[in-house]
Amino acid sequence: MKLERLGLILLLGLALTLPAGPVRAEEIKLSARDILDKVDDLYRGQASHGRMSMAITTAHWTRTLDLEFWSQGKDKSLVRILAPTKEKGTATLRVGSDLWNYLPKVKRVIKLPSSMMSASWMGSHFTNNDLVKESRMAEDYTFEVSFQGLRRGEDLIEVTCLPKPEAAVVWGKVLVEVRRSDYQPLLLNYFDEVMKPARTMTFAEYRTLGGRLLPAQMTIVPTDKPEEKTVVEYQTIEFEPELAPDVFSLRNLQR
Amino acid sequence: MAIWRYAWRNLWRNSRRSLITLAAVTLSTAVLMASYALMDGLFRHTVDNATNLVTGEVQVHAKGFLAERSLYQALADPAALLAAAQKAGLGAAARSFGYGLVSQGTKSAGALFWGVDPAAERQAFDLAKHLERGSFLAEKPDRGLVVGRKLAKSLGLDLGAEVVVVVQAADGSLGNDLYTVTGILKAAGEGLDRSAAFIHAADFQQLFVSGGRIHEVALNSRGRLPLDQVAALAGRAAPGEEVKTWRDLMPALADMVNLFDVSMALFGAIFFLAAGLGVMNTMLMSTYERIHEFGLLKALGTTPWRIVRDVCIEALLLGLAATAAGTLIGLAGTWYLQAIGLDISRLAGETTIAGVAFDPIWRAQFSLRAVVSSVATMWAICLLAALYPAAVAARLDPVRALNRV
Repeated sequence: MKLERLGLILLLGLALTLPAGPVRAEEIKLSARDILDKVDDLYRGQASHGRMSMAITTAHWTRTLDLEFWSQGKDKSLVRILAPTKEKGTATLRVGSDLWNYLPKVKRVIKLPSSMMSASWMGSHFTNNDLVKESRMAEDYTFEVSFQGLRRGEDLIEVTCLPKPEAAVVWGKVLVEVRRSDYQPLLLNYFDEVMKPARTMTFAEYRTLGGRLLPAQMTIVPTDKPEEKTVVEYQTIEFEPELAPDVFSLRNLQR
Repeated sequence: MAIWRYAWRNLWRNSRRSLITLAAVTLSTAVLMASYALMDGLFRHTVDNATNLVTGEVQVHAKGFLAERSLYQALADPAALLAAAQKAGLGAAARSFGYGLVSQGTKSAGALFWGVDPAAERQAFDLAKHLERGSFLAEKPDRGLVVGRKLAKSLGLDLGAEVVVVVQAADGSLGNDLYTVTGILKAAGEGLDRSAAFIHAADFQQLFVSGGRIHEVALNSRGRLPLDQVAALAGRAAPGEEVKTWRDLMPALADMVNLFDVSMALFGAIFFLAAGLGVMNTMLMSTYERIHEFGLLKALGTTPWRIVRDVCIEALLLGLAATAAGTLIGLAGTWYLQAIGLDISRLAGETTIAGVAFDPIWRAQFSLRAVVSSVATMWAICLLAALYPAAVAARLDPVRALNRV
């Protein structure tokens, strides 16, 4: 699973499979690969359903979307806008690498062309690409623990990931910071191909939701526009819910 | 005056020889003039095509708009600029731009939406007539859509097709609506072909929640006013905005025109030289034919200077008569080439040069420069061509010249 997906996986509320119980001593000496896999697996789940808000701030406008989401496995998800009224009912369905949008105003489904994959999702700082990527970080990147200890008052481990030459990833480098105590993600720093910082994703509000500990809030800030941001906050998450078999169908998208 | 009369009479002593020279010079003048006009026409036509279609001679944008094309970088006071243009009798069109998606069935493609005033586009530009099928936008907003041909092809759009358009509106919301394809453009350069989607300004405002933002005003005098004058007017009417001429906006075309200019000058020089050599040959022959005669003149005591003068005056007279006739024929040819033109569609087909649609009819463009330079060249050639044989004749040994048969 690729790093940029992390946020969206969170966004889409894939089930968390957190290690239960207190952290044991040997886990602290985990290798970088184990950490990445753990972070990856943290968000790999069977099914989820919940509600979240997405607050978007740009130089020209701010708005908050209320969203309901469903997900299953690693390749099926559905997000529906509940508010604001103007866009109520607008929905995005993802199956594999295909994305469809339903537009209630014109009662039509459109399939997003591949050329639009790097365009913004609903005006946020997430791209459509963020929604569909599905590869494992440890497979696409070479990695090493580049820092351990206190930083910003947090006891953390930093892993530096560099893409393998053959990997089809858009980033030049990704820095991953996790809490040393429980490997909860703290921060993801994305750099572009010329190693310029591109965007930062920070995690906060570690809470128990749906019976699991996870960062309930996630903020993404584009580096070239530091005054802009998208903040995602989970209200409810339900893990392994009973999902109707046709949740991820075009028919249900238009419901 | 007597000298001129003698020279004229001399010319007609051997009317056949003089007529041949006359014909050569006349024809060369006419051909020079017509080909010069054709070259001029090619320039003019290429530039006109590019500017009249949609670009205009001068465009005004907010500073930085061309680099970012952001929905939010609008002109501060487009109304003042439009009013100033109207006062000066300039064609002007206000436009808004925004990116979005056009979708039909399972296919969709990114597009650059142009919010335009159909009446202004019709009046100042040719785009509204540049349609492969269908018609341009109606004067009243009716959610009609005119698309580039490659965009239409990639989505399989036909006239009357109902498409979904989805855009990121200025207030952050997802603007979307149903539009009906009313027209498909002819080839108009890669950018327009691949991604242009024209809609009515009022529809644009609704779709993009753009609050009437205008991003571009394009000015076009259709060649009536000099470029710098149009640019100056725009600069005065829209202080603080970015004013660009077509040379800045279409650097590839500007480069091409410059390159064209150089290669045409070279080609022209070679052509003039060739025509000149032909005339010179005729003049030389006619002078050599008269060596016997010059020998006699010298034997009778004519000074060398007088021979040179007489020969030159004859050449000049011949040149005057020939260029007068040549100008008439050349002008007639230019008129024909300008009015009717050469159909090169069979050679070139429908083509674009540097992203500019190219009309398959090649038309000449009359200019005084063409007449003056052709006539002046021919006079110079006639004189030059006469000088050398005149000098030879002047230095003739009368005895040897008379002995030549």
